[in-house]
Amino acid sequence: MEPTVENNSREVVVCVENELGLHARPAGKVAQLAQKFQAEIALCVDDQKADAKSILDILSLAAPQGTEICIKASGVDANAALEELSQLFDNNFEGEA
Amino acid sequence: MARKILRGIPVSAGISIGKAYFVNRQRESRIPRETIPHHLVSIEVQRLRDAVETVRQGFVDARAKVPEELREHGAIIDSHLMICQDPKFIETAVKNIEDRAITAEWALERSINAIAKAFSAIDDPYIRDRIQDVRVVGDKIMQALIGTLKPIEAPAGRRVLVAHDLTPADTIELELSKIMSFATSEGGKTSHTGILARSLQIPAIVGVEDLESSIRDGDLVIIDALKGLIFIDPSEEELVHYGDRKYQFEDYQKAIVKQCHLPAETVDGYRLEVCANIELAEELVQVKDNGGEGVGLYRTEYAFFNKKEMPDEEKLYEEYATLAEQLSPGKVILRTLDVGADKLLDEQAALEEANPALGLRGIRFCLRYQEMFRMQLRAMLRSSVHGNVAIMFPMISGLKELRQARFVLNSVKSELDAEGLAYNPDIPVGIMIELPSAVMIADTLAREVDFFSIGTNDLIQYSLGIDRTNKHVSYLYQPLHPAIVRSIKFVIDAAHKEGIEASVCGEVASDPYCVPILMGMQVDGISIAPQAIPGIKRIIRQIDMEECIELLRDVLTHATVSRINTKVRKRIFKRFPEELSFFASLIEQDDITEP
Repeated sequence: MEPTVENNSREVVVCVENELGLHARPAGKVAQLAQKFQAEIALCVDDQKADAKSILDILSLAAPQGTEICIKASGVDANAALEELSQLFDNNFEGEA
Repeated sequence: MARKILRGIPVSAGISIGKAYFVNRQRESRIPRETIPHHLVSIEVQRLRDAVETVRQGFVDARAKVPEELREHGAIIDSHLMICQDPKFIETAVKNIEDRAITAEWALERSINAIAKAFSAIDDPYIRDRIQDVRVVGDKIMQALIGTLKPIEAPAGRRVLVAHDLTPADTIELELSKIMSFATSEGGKTSHTGILARSLQIPAIVGVEDLESSIRDGDLVIIDALKGLIFIDPSEEELVHYGDRKYQFEDYQKAIVKQCHLPAETVDGYRLEVCANIELAEELVQVKDNGGEGVGLYRTEYAFFNKKEMPDEEKLYEEYATLAEQLSPGKVILRTLDVGADKLLDEQAALEEANPALGLRGIRFCLRYQEMFRMQLRAMLRSSVHGNVAIMFPMISGLKELRQARFVLNSVKSELDAEGLAYNPDIPVGIMIELPSAVMIADTLAREVDFFSIGTNDLIQYSLGIDRTNKHVSYLYQPLHPAIVRSIKFVIDAAHKEGIEASVCGEVASDPYCVPILMGMQVDGISIAPQAIPGIKRIIRQIDMEECIELLRDVLTHATVSRINTKVRKRIFKRFPEELSFFASLIEQDDITEP
């Protein structure tokens, strides 16, 4: 899917601080934000990989509190996408419980 | 439609009379599962995209109309909107059409099923249940494809909403001010419809059999959400009768809420403590608004479920301390974890119990998984400096279990001492009496605890050996079975003999026919659902103790339930003919359901 991984794919590791884990509302926020970017964005946990633009895909990761997630992005606005997404995780989804 | 009476579960009390507004939400059963010629594939894809867009726009419109006070619903619609726009969901369906040359409907169905399969493998029940949201959205798109998506228009004038089931989005799409009441075929006591109806203070009946086949749009119906009855095409007399009842009920409701803060004291001065059963701290408002003196049963399970990780001590401490503080000087009885049929731990699920109701639950569970038990006890003890806190153990079957639990409690206390953490060293410790064995040895147990709380719901089931939710035997669920009456009396007497208090928590304590009998036994308190408090307090304030003792004496002389029920019904009804018509009673069902 990403033939030029070496060249334009970037990644950043974040942690799910949210007490309930990555449940519906935080997942919704991630997907909503990811959809603003053209870049292809994936959330990776161990060997699982989810499309960051799909709330259903994110939910199927069922990532509990404390999970480390590697966000990988490739495309023109990959840098901005990574920055904003990691901020969303760091801010604990804007105080969303 | 023909005149007919249906039954369901009343979830929000009241009466309403009006025309039915039918919103059929039953899942589509006529899905065209066909292949299509290749040149039509692109048209089929467009058809799917159009349907998705129609549904998406519907959600956007609904979202814009959500009033501020129903923010919870807004959030649910948001998630439906997200699913609607989800690339995985729709693009998988599109791919299905393209790769297999099948109808949009079939492709959509396959896509939903694939997601359902993936979700069913998720451990977290909260996330697993989100598949329901996918289905809600999927159903709507399916209806748009088939052409049965009903644009929900505001009905002309106020209506009785009739539906298969109601999702939050459905209820928002409707103008709530135009809905007088709800009736649905799906749903149980805790369903979303009930919560919504209670917050809007409109009557609602759920779980109504034959609802969809019996009511048509525009039919005149009476919703009696006191008894759980629906009259379709009622007679002139029924209309007149219910017209009066509606006003009476509304007057009554206003009156009892106004008086609910008065003490629960009989005419001749016998004082009873009326507390509430709750499971969330948020329910405290309801406890106070309805005149509850404290919390007689705080179910602590909520913090443990729907979480991937167990709560820690600090979190529990905060929860319990807040409760204690806000209720003070009123009391709060914290019941230790009472899990059973719902498995909390993986290792517990792995035990594969054939019969969970008779399995590792209540105190047995706590004693087996002591690490969690100790953590909870630490939090409870520490919270005791913030108010009037008591600890209660569930499902005690014998003295040894009680002693073991107390042993753990004492060891936790010394641990706190060693750490210099404060707690109330005289914290009252009580037990639930809900097993027949505990009843029989109540005299011995009473010597080693500070109070009893009789859990009648379980006591009735275990004593009579019936599962109340099993419709083949539910007619045997009889609170005034002589064995139950004697058991409760025996426990209360045993408590009083040792100088401790005995209260009753369970539905019996919110039944207007049963409360006077409990009072005849000199019960010290009752703990019931917050909403039930005003009505029960009012009954207590109008009765006198001598009457209750006399009634109990009479009840104890009869050998059969039906005889007791008839007697009690007659006597109490004669006493409160008006009020009782506003209650649904546990003891009225025998003549209806007995085969």
